[in-house]
Amino acid sequence: MINRIKIGMASCGVAAGAREVKDKIAEVAPEEKIVEVGCIGHCYAEPIVEIETDEGSIFYQDVEPDEEFINRMLELEDFSRFTPNPEREKWEKKFVTELSGKIDPVSLEEYRSRGGYQGLEKALEMEPGEVVEEVKTSYLRGRGGGGFPAGMKWSFLAAKEEEDKVIICNADEGDPGAFMDRTVMESIPHQMLEGMLIAAYATGANRLFIYCRAEYPLAVRNLNTAISQIEEAGLNKIGGEDIKITVKEGAGAFVCGEETALIHSLEGKRGTPRYRPPYPTDKGYKGRPSMINNVETFANVPLIIRLGGEEYAEIGTENSTGTKLFALAGDLEYSGLVEVPMGISIGDVIYGIGGAEEGSIKAVQIGGPSGGCIPEEYFDTPIDYDSLNELGAIMGSGGLIAISKGRCMVETARYFLDFTAKESCGKCTFCRIGTKRMLETLERVTGGEGTAEDVELLSELGPKIIKGSLCGLGQTAPNPVLTTLKYFKNEYLEHVEEKHCPALECDNLVEIEIDQETCIECGQCIKNCPVNVISDDFVIDNQDCTRCNSCIEVCPVDAIARVRKGGKVNVAN
Amino acid sequence: MSQIKVTIDGQTLNAEEGQTILQVARENQIHIPSLCFDNRVSQNTSCFVCIVQDAESGQWMPSCSSQVQDGMKINSSTPEVEDMRKTALDLILSEHSGDCEAPCTLACPAHAKVEEYVRAGREGNHFEALKIIKERIPFPMSIGRVCPRFCEQDCRRNVKDQPVAINDFKRLAADLYYDEYLEDMEDLTGEKAAIIGAGPAGLGAAYFLRRAGIASDVYEKRAEPGGMLRYGIPEYRLPKDILEKELAHFEKMGGITINCNQELGQDIELEELKNNYDAVIMAVGCWQPSSMRTEGEELAWGGIDYLEKLASQNFEMEDPGETIVVGGGNTAMDCVRSSLRLTEEQVHCYYRRTAKQMPAEEYEYQEALEEGANFEFLTQPISLRKEGDKLVLKCIRMELGEPDASGRRRPIPVDDSEFEVKADTVIAAIGQKTIAPEGVPTNDWGDVEVKEDNCRVEDNLFAAGDCVSGPATIVEAVAGARRVANGVQAYLKDDTYKPPYLINVSRGHWQSVSEDELVYLQEPDESERVEQRHIDLDKRKQTFEEVSLTFTKDEVELEGKRCFECSCTAREDCQLKEHSEELGADPEAFSGEKIDHGYNVEHPEIVMDRGKCIKCGICIKICNEVVNEYLLGFKNRGYNTKIDTAFGQPLPVDCEECGECLEACPVGALDWKVKKNEEILKKLAEEK
Repeated sequence: MINRIKIGMASCGVAAGAREVKDKIAEVAPEEKIVEVGCIGHCYAEPIVEIETDEGSIFYQDVEPDEEFINRMLELEDFSRFTPNPEREKWEKKFVTELSGKIDPVSLEEYRSRGGYQGLEKALEMEPGEVVEEVKTSYLRGRGGGGFPAGMKWSFLAAKEEEDKVIICNADEGDPGAFMDRTVMESIPHQMLEGMLIAAYATGANRLFIYCRAEYPLAVRNLNTAISQIEEAGLNKIGGEDIKITVKEGAGAFVCGEETALIHSLEGKRGTPRYRPPYPTDKGYKGRPSMINNVETFANVPLIIRLGGEEYAEIGTENSTGTKLFALAGDLEYSGLVEVPMGISIGDVIYGIGGAEEGSIKAVQIGGPSGGCIPEEYFDTPIDYDSLNELGAIMGSGGLIAISKGRCMVETARYFLDFTAKESCGKCTFCRIGTKRMLETLERVTGGEGTAEDVELLSELGPKIIKGSLCGLGQTAPNPVLTTLKYFKNEYLEHVEEKHCPALECDNLVEIEIDQETCIECGQCIKNCPVNVISDDFVIDNQDCTRCNSCIEVCPVDAIARVRKGGKVNVAN
Repeated sequence: MSQIKVTIDGQTLNAEEGQTILQVARENQIHIPSLCFDNRVSQNTSCFVCIVQDAESGQWMPSCSSQVQDGMKINSSTPEVEDMRKTALDLILSEHSGDCEAPCTLACPAHAKVEEYVRAGREGNHFEALKIIKERIPFPMSIGRVCPRFCEQDCRRNVKDQPVAINDFKRLAADLYYDEYLEDMEDLTGEKAAIIGAGPAGLGAAYFLRRAGIASDVYEKRAEPGGMLRYGIPEYRLPKDILEKELAHFEKMGGITINCNQELGQDIELEELKNNYDAVIMAVGCWQPSSMRTEGEELAWGGIDYLEKLASQNFEMEDPGETIVVGGGNTAMDCVRSSLRLTEEQVHCYYRRTAKQMPAEEYEYQEALEEGANFEFLTQPISLRKEGDKLVLKCIRMELGEPDASGRRRPIPVDDSEFEVKADTVIAAIGQKTIAPEGVPTNDWGDVEVKEDNCRVEDNLFAAGDCVSGPATIVEAVAGARRVANGVQAYLKDDTYKPPYLINVSRGHWQSVSEDELVYLQEPDESERVEQRHIDLDKRKQTFEEVSLTFTKDEVELEGKRCFECSCTAREDCQLKEHSEELGADPEAFSGEKIDHGYNVEHPEIVMDRGKCIKCGICIKICNEVVNEYLLGFKNRGYNTKIDTAFGQPLPVDCEECGECLEACPVGALDWKVKKNEEILKKLAEEK
């Protein structure tokens, strides 16, 4: 007996075709109750459908909007069943995201039935100062990347005597490949809003903003729905006053994730950072004391209040309490969103949870474009704020990209710097011009035109950009370059001295070659070459070849490969 | 406000809470450079040239925005801090697109302010033009006639058609006002220099020393002063009454005595001069003709000897008959064209490469052709002998091979191509060498060895001109004269002269830019270059009368309107240039893309040249916070960031009544279009 059908309709599910699946189920089985839920974190398996029965739930993965598929699924046939990787189950701790993917994100009722708003209720029974103390005891640190103790920040705002105080939720998640905050907002918006309301009570703030990037339309919609539900239910009445909550959509500038730039943008100005101090808790939105916390930080708060700070602090490590959400990406078997207790090792995340083949990963990039790469020899390092800082990386907001041994570290650094250089607000000399000059230098290196002086320039200019930039963007932009230089300098040197990309990734340093021995002359490569550079006798004209790899991908006998440019000549010598 | 104590570079200072580090430093006369700070507007923080370091925490801070805290210790002049500031400037310069100086001014060996005297001439202020010229050119009448015009070779107008006829501005200005003009001079200090050689370098050095208040005695071995001006350049190019006028001016200046018939080693001794004068400058020139290295070459005239004899006989000489001049340089042309004036017979010029590779000026070659010279290219003499009354020159034909060290294709003999020609006179004009006085150190080329910066040889002996550089031009000789005069002045003050560190940003040589890449304050005149007027060809062939005529005022005005006015409007008050020169920043330190954001000159008074903008945003803040208007704003992100008006519209016409943003702009990105020569003259006066 099917009770109801849940479809993962967060952005990851929708992108994989969940909407079509939902429409098809509604068409095939109009009598069934279909519920849209959020993300359970296994994005690689989307669209995922959960069928709730009296006996428990059955999960299907890679569901197709096909009548036959759906009928078989509704018959609960044993096919395309979703079974999470058992290793992942071992390491993951669903805590903040426990409800994600399980409840209808925009059902206040459902959230409340699972303990929602109990934290707020409990907080309202406490003195505001006690609430702040509880957060301090929990030692919750900012999940946006900086890791500043949240309780301390709250106490700064609470100490302000101004009548108008502002709380801003930083939902401008901009790191490429990061989607922790999006998932929280899409799947459990009420949990985050509850955290904000608790913060408002604890600090005496009377105005709440959520600065969310406009590229997250579902998050914005779910938040707005949740806010109307809150207002309807009167949950925003705190201290006898109705607190106004507004979702403000950002226009897409990465730098607006920086708090002073965010405030400028919120005020309607160009999103450029300003020098701190004064800190926003002294002078923020329209000059009022303002406190900015990240989405995930607020989502932790209701749990802290419910459990009590002390109990919360038992999760994770001494200086990094609680759990952390990571967006896993890169050369992994299972990419997606994962929540782990602080202190888990990097290796356990990528091999255990990510399912990468043992020994296949040479580095991970933690903290997005602002973070640093960590090489294999440090994979037993625990993931906590301080250990990562020691390695030259940062916790960041939670992007974690695994880089396999088949990838070029110089190209990886170039990729990240290309992002930050373009996202610089253009205000500071070092960030605007310095990152551009570093990027051009990296392009010379990957393009086979680099020199030893270029490598020198990177290591000299990088630290100067860090020193001479006003905000976190410039202060961290050189990190991917500096950490790859630190741990993979040999790769840089091979590019400039030998004109060789050891990973055969840099197009200007490789050629595509067809092994005539293996080739079966099927002609697939010729047919698929977009620039027609493969001759009838199966020789590639590398002069005009764009290195698109189409031929390699279509070759049925793996006869085509990227080889070192002029490599054969060198080998013979 | 409560009083606190702050330490900057070890100096403990009183400050008020809330002040920035930069404010405290400036109040206490501690210099911190900055491009983007303006105390009329809110915190800006862009350029990072004002960066300082906390001595205790090691933290880096922009001093314009960081507030002082009690007990704070700041480093503002350590090598690390200066290196950070220099790097900030290096980066800004690598993005900065424009021309500080005009290419013509940079090309002039004497760095005469070309664009400025062209502007003065165009406006009819020839007296002012002369004043600007004479800051760097002691012989404007002569150089105005014989200069090979380095400035015109680099003139941007070449992109479009012909260069502006720059040198003619000098000639007209000097011809008009030479008699009444007298430059500013320091009072004589009592110090005195001996100068050996009264040629352009020696007299030039006397000129620059006199302006600085130092007298000189000039010793000349020949009967009359002028050196190459008198004995090397024929009358038809530089009439000697012009030279007399120049020499008369030296007399008028006072403090310069010229003693002729005084030969070093015979009439005067170097050691004696060194003992009797505060400084001695050797400027003996290059008077030794180079050898053809052929059998019988003693039967030929040396080119410079031929010209010297001609000049010393007041351009009256016996008919040389059929003449062959060997060589392709300016001396060869002078010999060819002089000979043409002395004989009815054929005059030939033999040169071993082709016309294109001749070192002589193109116009000299053309004028020689007009006057009837016969050129034989790819021809090399191999021997000379006498047969009866005639000379027989044996030659071989050449062809061009691979390029040599000079980049020109090397001529190589063609087998079995020898031939013989007969002539009455053969002149070998293939180069000259220095005859360095005994005991003076020389380099591999036999030229006098000097220290590059201050032109000092040893003790109180200095040297300049051709005897240092090898045979060169008059304008290069006067450039050397100024350098040696600076060296002597510094020496007399017990100091070593170090040329100031100057930077220049350039849009590039005209050969590397296209016409639409150029920024014009106003569209230059479309007209073609004014054609040089000459005396009649018949007269040219018969007499030594001056060939070319001075431009009229109208012609100069017309030429002036063809000038592109390439230099930056802000170069006299550009803070980027000032701080870059102060901190040794280098426009070439980083190479990379420069974005052409275009320019806007639609406003009648204001130029908006975005390529020069350093994106500090001061103009935006001034407009908003001081003027209460919102005419400017940032656009784009990253390296593409630019400052612009809404929708790229021109600035409103009434902006000219305000101009606050123009005054605040640290560079020339927003500026008044009109360039003013007064500022240049003031600056030149300060430099001296």
